Amino acid sequence: MTDLLHFEDFRVGQIFALGTHTLAPEEMIDYAREFDPQPQHLDPAAAKDLLGGLAASGWYLCALAMRMMVDGLFIRSTSLGAPGVDEVQWRRPVRAGDSLRVDGEVLDMRDSSRPERGFVRFRFSMWRPKENGEDERVMMFTCSVMFGRRNLSAGAA
Amino acid sequence: MWFEDIPLGNKITLGSYAFTEENIIAFAKKYDPQPFHVDKDAAARSPYGGLIASGWHTSSVWMKLVIAYRHGRIAKGEEATQANFVSPGVREIRWLKPVRPGMIVTYTNEPFAKLDWPSLPQYGLIEGKNEAFDQDGTLVYSFINRVLIARKPIP
Repeated sequence: MTDLLHFEDFRVGQIFALGTHTLAPEEMIDYAREFDPQPQHLDPAAAKDLLGGLAASGWYLCALAMRMMVDGLFIRSTSLGAPGVDEVQWRRPVRAGDSLRVDGEVLDMRDSSRPERGFVRFRFSMWRPKENGEDERVMMFTCSVMFGRRNLSAGAA
Repeated sequence: MWFEDIPLGNKITLGSYAFTEENIIAFAKKYDPQPFHVDKDAAARSPYGGLIASGWHTSSVWMKLVIAYRHGRIAKGEEATQANFVSPGVREIRWLKPVRPGMIVTYTNEPFAKLDWPSLPQYGLIEGKNEAFDQDGTLVYSFINRVLIARKPIP
């Protein structure tokens, strides 16, 4: 398993592209039915008055970003999850049909109280193209993820 | 209910949710398929020693209980239906203890601050402290929610 990304493999300033996803109405409604059954997430007519159209639950965007983070990065790493998230910003309503892109930038790295682990702090961002061709950040959160260290987990210590 | 009507320092119990092996795995298979969330055997070999819920599952349940709580109040006539709440984000999510199958988690909310939101002056921002406890009373989860609520119209 030496090809897994360990703490030592990250560098401050690295940006990981974590894929693109076109939002289908079924997936946002599927999440909203179970966890966030508010009209703006379920009912297109009510949503039109409030946010200009059916909008994804902010928590769904976090769950979707998480899935893209796992598939694009964590699954090929020694990730042990994150003890929390510093700040989540839901900056724009996100709608069915939106073409979304997620990336993660390494902000800083620090030791853990456990010598076999370290923390990598990321800013994960969800982007959407604007009409002028630039991408706007529709959602972001910063969190510190625990990773195993290569030297100790490989038994080199 | 308007921005002006929300009392600060009033702690409410939103409700409880039973985490099970089934709902932990079902959530994680869709949204967070890391081995310690979806695979019992891999989870047993991990530092967690067993299956644990995705943090986003613990967070999503808070939202579910908030909506159920409000629907309950509306049904009892304690709260009028109105435009729904919109949130610009949340702060300081802390997944303090692993949430495991068999845990029954009770969530609370306490609004503690009212702030202006200059880009939408017809709304005010409420910040609330949210905590979740297992059945033994151990704090397992906390965060600060932020919600924009319409101000009372000036007649």
